[in-house]
Amino acid sequence: MERQLEFSNRSDRDAVIVDVVGQIDLGTSPALRKSLLDSLNGTERLAINLQEVRYIDSSGIASLLEVLQEAKKSKKRIILFGVTGSVLKVLQLTRLTGVFEIRETELQALDA
Amino acid sequence: MSSPKTAVQLRLAFPSDPRFLSLARAAVGELGGIFGLSSEERIEVTLAVDEALANIIRHAYRNCYDRKIEFECLVDEEQMEFTLLDQGEPPDPEKICGQPLDEFALSGRGTHLIKAIMDEMSYQKVSRGNQLKLVKRLPGAKARADGK
Repeated sequence: MERQLEFSNRSDRDAVIVDVVGQIDLGTSPALRKSLLDSLNGTERLAINLQEVRYIDSSGIASLLEVLQEAKKSKKRIILFGVTGSVLKVLQLTRLTGVFEIRETELQALDA
Repeated sequence: MSSPKTAVQLRLAFPSDPRFLSLARAAVGELGGIFGLSSEERIEVTLAVDEALANIIRHAYRNCYDRKIEFECLVDEEQMEFTLLDQGEPPDPEKICGQPLDEFALSGRGTHLIKAIMDEMSYQKVSRGNQLKLVKRLPGAKARADGK
């Protein structure tokens, strides 16, 4: 059976980039939340690549919000990029496109 | 390709384990496509049904993953009607209404999404448990209603 969600970290310049692949839902969002919070510990700037995310629900959105809140508390930055399709739709439906810092590409996220 | 003229009924029964949510999402998305929903509408309807199922797992069954969820989708030219049945805790009426949200609220978005996307949402306590009905009118039915 295909794993529903995978994520991996890499570094570029002063940022940690998290590549997320798969579906973010009630079953997979706790692991993503934990991984993002762990990644945030090791950097001032976390760029989250959502290009290969095929689905996100409100629990996934809540996980991203929690990481954003944690970043703001410690004066760090979260930047989302590759936000298209269903992820963009859900962010629009939840009226959160203005809450997150969103860039179109990885390069733009790193330059931000 | 035109929508089928015959109504379609899909019934699923599965454990309250989040791993089965993707199965329900796939079925809803495919049926929506066959009956003429745009890709954007398919995303929306799939999300609404998924949020309702997740609410059952989280709230009715309090994250017990071995309870039973019954799911039925009845589609005709007019609408997609989803019926979800569980035997867990009945929902809090205030939560069904959807609480006001501030932008950083970490919970409560699911019900707001369902109400924003679906045309009808109704809850009923029935002899077999908690029954939630969600209805989405199909584009053809909306066009007829608008006289187009």
